[in-house]
Amino acid sequence: MDKGMSILVVDDFPTMRRIVRSLLKELGFTNVEEAEDGQEALTKLKGGGFDFVVSDWNMPNLDGLEMLKQIRADESMKSMPVLMVTAEAKKDNIVAAAQAGANGYIVKPFTAVTLEEKLNKIFEKLGK
Amino acid sequence: MSGEARSVTSEAGHNDDLVQRIGQLTRMLRESMRELGLDKEVEKAAEAIPDARARLNYVASMTEQAAERALNAVDRAQPLQDEMERGAQALDEKWQTWFQQPLEMDDARELVTETRHYLGSVPAMARNTSKELLEIMMAQDFQDLTGQVIKKMMEVIQEVERQLLQVLLESVPEGDEREAMRERMNNRTAEDARRREQAGLMNGPQIKPDGEDIVSSQDQVDDLLDELGF
Repeated sequence: MDKGMSILVVDDFPTMRRIVRSLLKELGFTNVEEAEDGQEALTKLKGGGFDFVVSDWNMPNLDGLEMLKQIRADESMKSMPVLMVTAEAKKDNIVAAAQAGANGYIVKPFTAVTLEEKLNKIFEKLGK
Repeated sequence: MSGEARSVTSEAGHNDDLVQRIGQLTRMLRESMRELGLDKEVEKAAEAIPDARARLNYVASMTEQAAERALNAVDRAQPLQDEMERGAQALDEKWQTWFQQPLEMDDARELVTETRHYLGSVPAMARNTSKELLEIMMAQDFQDLTGQVIKKMMEVIQEVERQLLQVLLESVPEGDEREAMRERMNNRTAEDARRREQAGLMNGPQIKPDGEDIVSSQDQVDDLLDELGF
């Protein structure tokens, strides 16, 4: 796993963005940018240069699921790995996220260990 | 005011009359509310209250847990910091004494051993302090979770307001006041409808983790994804 990879953290709550950013730093990932909703994230992603997305679900303007669908539908970024980190805990949510092409699903509140596990699993699968 | 009250209580007959009239009014109100279908609106408003109570309970317990988590971490980190400070101070004093009067070589050797021992113990203590700082940071996740629940609460309150406005609206005579009220309610209704349309898969944190079709842990999420073959 390349610790220098560029990661986009998408969440409408600044506190959660800070927490995820600090956890990623703790795990050795220092190249982290933030977006406060799906719309802003898509704009940043279209600008290029990102290797990984960690996203919330419930956000104003454009929610995480819709953002994921648009990423998968876009030729230039359809293979972008996306990890959902959300408080949505209904079975329907997990099924919908998986079907839309999420690479991982973490329910809030979560631990540093869980985040590390899921990141490792995703990159193992992707063969990186 | 007290004069009025006295004049009412002084006439028992008048009092009975009043009670009877209030009773009649209440019955009339209830009947007309039923005719207009307003009792259902009030019922809906009343049903929202236990849900709001459950959400507030969730917020209260999450904030309490977060505060406790942070305070416990501070309690664990402080002794580590104190130990490091005391150790460094004691060694510094000993070295200062030795430099002022460098006598026995044996003393110096002992001091070097002690210093090396101290330096060896610092990284582990610093690591543990860092771990506690991370714990304090993670405890702040309550802000996101309770924030989402509070936003939901505000929607519930708006819905209750809308339903109560509806009841009021039907009991206000025609006129400007009624028009203004109707307009305000229509705005609310449109807003609510838009929000309901968006809801579906966006319910925020689960305040009752043992509910149906809800996962209560990361393990359950992982199991479900495995089951689905993802």
